Amino acid sequence: MNLNRRDCLTGALALSVASLGNDALAQSREATLRQVMGGNVNTLDPTVPGASRESAGMSMSIYDRLITFGRKQVNGNWVFDQSVIVPELAERVETSADRRKITLHIRSNATWHDGTPVTAEDIKWSLDRCVSAKSLAPPQFQSGSMYKPEQFRIAGPRVVEILLDEPNRLAIGNLGLPYAIMINSTLAKKHATADDPWALKWLQANAAASGAYMVESFRPGEAVTLRRNPNWKSGPNGKPAHFERVICQSVPEASTRANLVERGDADIVLDLQVSDIAAVRARDVAKVVSNTQTNGFTHISFNTQVAPFNNVKVRQAFAAAFPYNEMFKAALFGRGQPLFGATWSGSPTSPDFPAPMPNHTDLARAKALLVEAGYPNGLDVTFNFALSYAAVAEPMAALMKESLAKIGVNLTIQKLPDTQLSTLQSEKKLSFYMDTGSAWLPATYYFFWVYFTRAQRWNLANWDNPRVFELVNKARTETNQAAYDAYCREMISIMAAETPLVLAFQANIDAVMAKKIDGFTYHFHRQLDYRDLRRV
Amino acid sequence: MRAAHLLRLIFWRLVSSIPALIGVVVITFILMRVLPGDPAVFFSSGPTAGQEEIENLRRQMGLDKPMYVQLGIYLKDVASGNLGRSILTGQAVTKDIAQRLPASLELTLTALLIAIVVSIPLGILAALRSGTWIDHLVRFLCTLGVCMPTFVSGLVLIFIFYFVLGWAPDPTGRIDIFAAQPPNITGFLLIDFALTGNWSGWWAAFSQIILPACTMALFVLAPLARMTRASMLAVLRSEFIRTARSIGMSEWRITIVYALRNALIPVITIAGIVFSTMLGANVLVEKVFSWPGVASYTLDALVASDYAPVQGFVLLMATIFVMVNLIVDILYGLMDPRMSIG
Repeated sequence: MNLNRRDCLTGALALSVASLGNDALAQSREATLRQVMGGNVNTLDPTVPGASRESAGMSMSIYDRLITFGRKQVNGNWVFDQSVIVPELAERVETSADRRKITLHIRSNATWHDGTPVTAEDIKWSLDRCVSAKSLAPPQFQSGSMYKPEQFRIAGPRVVEILLDEPNRLAIGNLGLPYAIMINSTLAKKHATADDPWALKWLQANAAASGAYMVESFRPGEAVTLRRNPNWKSGPNGKPAHFERVICQSVPEASTRANLVERGDADIVLDLQVSDIAAVRARDVAKVVSNTQTNGFTHISFNTQVAPFNNVKVRQAFAAAFPYNEMFKAALFGRGQPLFGATWSGSPTSPDFPAPMPNHTDLARAKALLVEAGYPNGLDVTFNFALSYAAVAEPMAALMKESLAKIGVNLTIQKLPDTQLSTLQSEKKLSFYMDTGSAWLPATYYFFWVYFTRAQRWNLANWDNPRVFELVNKARTETNQAAYDAYCREMISIMAAETPLVLAFQANIDAVMAKKIDGFTYHFHRQLDYRDLRRV
Repeated sequence: MRAAHLLRLIFWRLVSSIPALIGVVVITFILMRVLPGDPAVFFSSGPTAGQEEIENLRRQMGLDKPMYVQLGIYLKDVASGNLGRSILTGQAVTKDIAQRLPASLELTLTALLIAIVVSIPLGILAALRSGTWIDHLVRFLCTLGVCMPTFVSGLVLIFIFYFVLGWAPDPTGRIDIFAAQPPNITGFLLIDFALTGNWSGWWAAFSQIILPACTMALFVLAPLARMTRASMLAVLRSEFIRTARSIGMSEWRITIVYALRNALIPVITIAGIVFSTMLGANVLVEKVFSWPGVASYTLDALVASDYAPVQGFVLLMATIFVMVNLIVDILYGLMDPRMSIG
């Protein structure tokens, strides 16, 4: 290569420009939030089948929904509060007296990222999409009694009505979930095709949104870069978000994520290993905010339709044989909320779920129950869990094996790849296994509806109890709080008596962040919402 | 005439590799479907997704048809350059691979270059001083490199050079995440930055690639250095070297010009194999350094039973093996006039 005088001069100029730029660079670093994560954002539209959990979190900052939820302080940390409905793209929400009509008044000054105003037609199109597209949204919306486009009606300029056939406790809540994104329909329709009338394909890689952040670049599996939307009006006080820029980067290696946040190169991370979190805490180099995942649970489930677990006594025997405290310590180092050891019997003290169940380790009782069930010589059982959950499940399984051996049960532990476990689970071919469950709308009856009733994939224990099904359906449309609470209590007490599955615990989620990051909130989607965060 | 001969050779070699490639496609296709686990169930995640969503996804992925029909459709698609769509990234597999292959190739080539530059002198040195402490030292270094799993050496390098010393930039990807994206000409950042004369960008990309490349190079030092040593020893003992010595040629000329050229032939074969293996097997390095390459992409897809990317990757690897073998054979001919490549 020939190096001439011109090249040298250009080089020198570039160097001096670079050094001038250092200040600007430092400033933009201050105004940039960098998150690192082990998973990845694989679509900008969270309703697409196969969308990762991280994608759902990302959509909260890019899109607006009609409403959002409040937040409250619990033990000094911010936690979502679904009892408070906060306006987002709708500035006002009215519910009719019979609770069968919801009227939404769209914000008058709201605009899409391209500057065009948000219209009632856009909202109607977006809601129609939520019940019509071949996506993950329709089954979710059905939980709010929203089934078909005819239920959404334009009732005037910037007014949209939702008509329900029955009052539904979750109807409004559903409008605040990641699936209920409001889409710029004019833009999306340009990319819709005959095969794909709802532009699912195009919206997977492109955004047509009005939210707090605009997508600067999206490289699936690598990084998403967002730029602040200066015209965002749907936030608290109608002000734009704090950070000018957000970088969300996939870093698969957990120890690298820990290094990055410890050295201050990354600002926040939600998925560090337990050992790294302990080290960060000990060295006091970053802030650790721990919250219990209150809308999730880890369960140990029995297949209640197949021997030996179709016998309630076998299930109760197992539930009495598990070494709960030891498992909790070994799997989570005691960091989380136990869901065992409650002192009530008969009816629970609270209608809330998931809450501690009256399960205790009692080997003598376990042994007696097993004899009563007709297994005086014990039995052989296989126990499964997913590979990706092995860090938690493996120590628990070992302790269970040891304890069950004392009542004559020979436990074979079998780890399975995640896809295989989910396939066997949906085909109801697992006899005895461990997994997790969670709900975006953590209402007691909703948990029972999704996880403990009906012949459907997520019926964890393949449990069929007609009374529970009846109670769930009653609770769904019940408008009287006391009656609703009574239904929920009864569901929980039936579950305690029948033991279709054992609730183990709720794990903590530890957000590790630079000391100057403030405002972190634990959300139902268990991901970051960049709109909460500030650098102080 | 020689050029025409070479072209004819390349053509026939490519044509004759087609049956092998088809075999690879068919076997991967069947293997993926024989694996337990249904991707339609796995990807219909979300607690409200039921049987209907699973069936929809199965139809969308074409999994509702009998396997031989699926295979027929896939072969037709592959022939027209369509490798299907990845559910995990939502993009066409050809687009994903086109974005990620340059990253893997750049890393592998840089690592191979480092490995060759280090291992060949080491091998020569060990051969010339065979049996002495130098030979033992080289053997020790090579053994150390090959013993240590790449993710361990990678993490150790990160710990020392990034975490403790702070010399290396943060080990996440090909370029500083805060910097603007480089021009996309060839996809090889070092080449693109050089072409646009952006030397500060070039330096940034170089400082990102050096740690992962060294990690990979460490791992393949052993086969290259050991092969150089062995074939150097064999050549040094042969008669033409004795003749050269007897007529009083300088030691330097004998070693470099006469011995090395003949000794390098088996080393080229090994380098070809090492290159192909590294490209597929560097998944751990890609994971540790968040390198957006094809290997880590395929591992994610495999874990999730995302069929199309895995099939596409295996086909790509098979094609690269064919190409590398062809290049090795051509190089043989250039190195050794006695070899006829036909």
